[in-house]
Amino acid sequence: MQMIMPDSILLLTFNANRLNVLVALLICGALVAYFIWKGRRGGLYLRPISGLSAIDEAVGRATEMGKPVLYTTGLGKMERVATIASMNILGNVARKVASYGTPLIIPCYDPVVMAVAQEVVKESFAREGKPEAYRSDNIYYVTQSQFGYAAAVDGVMVREKPAANLFLGTFEAESLILAETGNSIGAIQIAGTDSTIQLSFFIVACDYTLIGEELFAASGYLSGDPKVTGSIKAQDWLKVLITVLIGIGVILSTANLNFWQNLFGPK
Amino acid sequence: MLLKLPLIIVAVFGLFMLVQFFVEAPFLDHTYQEILDWVQIIYLFTLWVGAINLIKLHLKKSTHKKEAPYSVVTLSGIVIMLFFGLIQGKEVGSVFDWIFKNVQVSLQASMFSLLAFFVASAAYRGFRARSTEALVLLSVAAIVMLGRVPIGDLISGLIPDFANWILNFPSMAARRGILIGIGLGTVATALRVLLGIERTYLGR
Amino acid sequence: MKRQYIYLLILAALTIPLFLPLGLKHQVTDEVEKFYQTIEDLPPGSTVMVSFDFEASTIAETKPLAQAVLRHLFSRRISVVSLSMLAEGTGLGHSFLKEVADEFGRKYGADYVFLGFRPQYQATILGLGEDFAKVFPQDYLRNNLSDLSLTQKVRNYEGISLIISVADGDLPQYWVDYAQTRFQKPVAAAVTAVMATSYYPYLSSGQFSGLVGGLKGAAEYETLLGKAGLGSKGMEAQSLGHLMIIALIIIGNLAHLRTRKKI
Repeated sequence: MQMIMPDSILLLTFNANRLNVLVALLICGALVAYFIWKGRRGGLYLRPISGLSAIDEAVGRATEMGKPVLYTTGLGKMERVATIASMNILGNVARKVASYGTPLIIPCYDPVVMAVAQEVVKESFAREGKPEAYRSDNIYYVTQSQFGYAAAVDGVMVREKPAANLFLGTFEAESLILAETGNSIGAIQIAGTDSTIQLSFFIVACDYTLIGEELFAASGYLSGDPKVTGSIKAQDWLKVLITVLIGIGVILSTANLNFWQNLFGPK
Repeated sequence: MLLKLPLIIVAVFGLFMLVQFFVEAPFLDHTYQEILDWVQIIYLFTLWVGAINLIKLHLKKSTHKKEAPYSVVTLSGIVIMLFFGLIQGKEVGSVFDWIFKNVQVSLQASMFSLLAFFVASAAYRGFRARSTEALVLLSVAAIVMLGRVPIGDLISGLIPDFANWILNFPSMAARRGILIGIGLGTVATALRVLLGIERTYLGR
Repeated sequence: MKRQYIYLLILAALTIPLFLPLGLKHQVTDEVEKFYQTIEDLPPGSTVMVSFDFEASTIAETKPLAQAVLRHLFSRRISVVSLSMLAEGTGLGHSFLKEVADEFGRKYGADYVFLGFRPQYQATILGLGEDFAKVFPQDYLRNNLSDLSLTQKVRNYEGISLIISVADGDLPQYWVDYAQTRFQKPVAAAVTAVMATSYYPYLSSGQFSGLVGGLKGAAEYETLLGKAGLGSKGMEAQSLGHLMIIALIIIGNLAHLRTRKKI
């Protein structure tokens, strides 16, 4: 068999317009790799997050009242970082729920998220030694329509009257509809999202809110994996670096020197 | 092996996407386009998973007395829309289109309109001057609300200007801070996924 | 105050202006002016991509936004290649497009094309940059793209001067992330009020060429076009709604003060 290979097929050109992105990525990668390595050696500290202790309280309250816990990852698909973080927290919540014997209801917006949530909860129940208590019917796909989903979750709240509502993931305009309905049934509500505009709604209507990055940090904190903790520590140092870069930019731009700004702008 | 295979797939395709972002070559572009096509094809299969789960669940629930009416409505909706969609298509003037515009649009718009009422009740309950910070928060909220409607301009031309200043400076500064944190979180998570440290997407 | 009374007051505030117009004037903000000017600056004969990235629920806001923007485009003889990133936006997008195109006597296939919907927006946005016909071999009306004069001329983003996302969610962000970063296409957004504030950073960073937010934005756009429409009408209801919420906040605080004094 003869393969015809045009000369151009092996022609590789580096896109110089993306050099700044590559440099930033390499710096991020190096810092993350360093802190993961450091994390594996132990000794990294993450401060406790107040919203997380509230989750224990909420699950405990639901158990006392004999009512279910409602958990939603919002509208995010599996590739969203907030959904990945939410799954880490879900694993922890599912273990608590399994140990207390409290029902856990998870209506899903995306079929892939549903499949992953089922696996996460199933494994958590198995880890707690209660695989027989796992109910796959409680984790189900609803719809990919934003307000259809909000209506379905509101319906579950009104009918099942969960004692605790956990809204952790990506949310859009439906956030307040969910949180206000939850408030009207007297549920303890904990929210966390990276959707900046929805944070204000959650803060007003929920008992605890994990703000943006706190959601990612919470998932790392709960996973207890030093490699994950290390990468979160790296984020902190990257923030310090960015703050310094912004500071330099502010000073130089004020002095009308724009070369610094141009280094970071789109080419 | 069952665990390693998805990790290898993620690492190989993730690295490929990264390389093709920085390097230009005809064969990279071609492979990239192929991957995008496959992403769409695979995603369509996952919709089947969702639809089957939904139908199975509601068939089961339709035998429960309490849940039956909701499940019957859901299942009828699926059957009716499928039936008309398949025999008549979804063009303008079809039954599918009529149901969509007159039932689904109206129902969904009603859900969205609930926001007006919920914003009011949340504002009534949440905006209480319990501290100086809370007083500042509610005053700014009131000014921004006034500034975003023509009545604010009627009261004083300064109100919309001040509302825009709040949105463009203090509010944007805070939002950018959060966005930078989220961006870094995204990069760190992506690296963890590529390195096989983050395995939540596998349900582990 | 009981929730039910709050809801009744809001209902009254929102419905009264729909029957008794107040005739309020709209001050045009910089971001809407910028959006308008971006379209004004396009030479006649250019092609703009309009993506209807919304669901049925937000029709009250997205319809006035879409209509205002489309009216501007068609009035300037700019061709429109359109699509939807959400299944629900497909039927609605097509009817809005047809309605406004008919108003201006524009011809399907030559002046405008509606591609339809594909799932997985990242892959769709990236794929369109390579070749429209690969992602949409046929348009929404089942014509081959190769048979339509507009898509014969414009085959990928190269022939597109501006991308406009009429959205109720985070899709404009995806257009920036994938179409702008990769293909250097200017992006403008017309979004619902609840989402507008989250996009201000994109506007000031220059990633958006303009931003029209909510009914207010639609009303301002209508002012610039010199033709009042759904946006201006809805904005009067929204004005009274805002006033009512402020009144409720004041009542809530007075009640709070009274209970505190009693303690």
